[in-house]
Amino acid sequence: MVSIKIRNLELKTPLMLASGTWGLGENLDQFLTQQEIKKNIGALVTKGISIYPNEGNPPPRISETPCGLINSIGLENPGISVFKKIYLPKLKNYEIPLIVNLHGEKIEDFVNLVEELKEEKIEGVEINISCPNVEKGGIYFSSDPVAVKTLLKKLRKKWNRFLSVKLSPVGAVFEIAEICQREEADAIVVANTYPALKVLELKPFKVLKGGLSGPAIKPLTLRLVYELSKKLEIPVIGCGGIISGRDALEYLLCGAKAFQIGTANLINPRAAIKIMEEIKVLKDGLCSERYS
Amino acid sequence: MYIAEVILNKKESENIYLLGIKVSKNILKKFEPGQFLKIRLNEKLDPLIPRPFSVHFIESNILYILYQVVGKGTKSLSKIKKGDFLEFWGPLGKPFPRLKDYILCAGGVGVAGFGYLLQKNKKDKKYLPRKIFYGAKTKNELVRLDFFKKFHIPIEISTDDGSKGYRGFITELLEKEIQKNPKTILACGPFEMLKKIAKIAEKFKVDAYLVMETFLACGTGFCKGCVVPLKKGGYLHLCIDGPTLLSEEINLNGIY
Repeated sequence: MVSIKIRNLELKTPLMLASGTWGLGENLDQFLTQQEIKKNIGALVTKGISIYPNEGNPPPRISETPCGLINSIGLENPGISVFKKIYLPKLKNYEIPLIVNLHGEKIEDFVNLVEELKEEKIEGVEINISCPNVEKGGIYFSSDPVAVKTLLKKLRKKWNRFLSVKLSPVGAVFEIAEICQREEADAIVVANTYPALKVLELKPFKVLKGGLSGPAIKPLTLRLVYELSKKLEIPVIGCGGIISGRDALEYLLCGAKAFQIGTANLINPRAAIKIMEEIKVLKDGLCSERYS
Repeated sequence: MYIAEVILNKKESENIYLLGIKVSKNILKKFEPGQFLKIRLNEKLDPLIPRPFSVHFIESNILYILYQVVGKGTKSLSKIKKGDFLEFWGPLGKPFPRLKDYILCAGGVGVAGFGYLLQKNKKDKKYLPRKIFYGAKTKNELVRLDFFKKFHIPIEISTDDGSKGYRGFITELLEKEIQKNPKTILACGPFEMLKKIAKIAEKFKVDAYLVMETFLACGTGFCKGCVVPLKKGGYLHLCIDGPTLLSEEINLNGIY
């Protein structure tokens, strides 16, 4: 697989591990060797990091649905200071590009987070806008193009390395994507999980509200990637239900410059290796066939 | 993921099956009692997530799993046949604590993982339990009794309907024993049984290690989905901190 370049970010492969689906690398090396990581994974996108530690939501946090998974982890993370001190040194040892996913409750949080990362040797940041903006009564950043515009203007002044925005698949998707392009984000990640609900019990009635991921969402996100790639110049990183080489190739053919795998890591901790092997076989097959 | 050939998938009772899969000895030797593996039926999208199972026992290069059909995953598993292949990953999670002078308590198919514990310690008797308490709903669901009898450890039996052994819950027998003879408890079974055992342990001031269950997505610590609340605040992640947890540390009322 040839290496790729998204603006100033060079990746050995187009495969990235999506945020929140491999922890903070605490035990990634139990399942993949250093060599396998370097050969197969283009970049690691960390779990969402916030200013303060967050212990996450009470159980239940996760439940299976047909061909998918609903999660409501609640952005469990150790906070930026502990992340920098404890987790980042180990993550750097993997010697592949590292993108830190950032989560904020107000614009100032994101600005402070990139300030905190300025001196660190990381390749980029991914901005999670699927979170409520407490300064605007809890309206999601992803539903508020004006807030996203202000946010990106401020971040661009502070951060000149790679910056991607992880879009929500719902809300003002196209408008927000255009703002990301105009405000010089380096890429958009299309997309986060879909707001969903599962009825866990009928009596007493109990539900789990969270984000839906997995193969169930692939056709929906693939459509978004296809349309956004046609409409905009900004590089699109596809993310939604990829669990095979065929899925990944479909995203690339629909216009994605790279792709992230998420739920696949939960099914199989070695999914990255399997998917890259499958892509190679598929590409070899496509190249060797003759079309008249 | 490893690929394994199914050599047996035999019905033990109405809903309980014994599955045997052929696994290389290099992988088998990594398994300690109390650890689990995750099984996925090849390439299926529904159910999507591999299911966790404990090791019932290991013989030569065959790993045996005792499971009950409770949902979509185990229903699919019950339909596979000798000669089929499945994917698995393991060992995952922490082993049972290395206990001496303790009592085992199992409810229903919760007995499964204790088979491997007995098998692994049979030559070093100080790590074997003093007594086994084993309860089920009916006589038919008291599966694998002959297997457990082979270890020559006293077994007390109960069934909810009285079709075999004491009529009532196994925790009632356990409580009488602990009152007479306080010892550490290692228990696996339905959540209500584990809650009762936590109370018994508190009452008689003994340690109780509970093998907990919740829906696991990754089983590897990646997703942070399987949290168990701690009494002191915060959470443990069952897949990497467990599945066996000390009852006095966890808040069982915060789970469901």
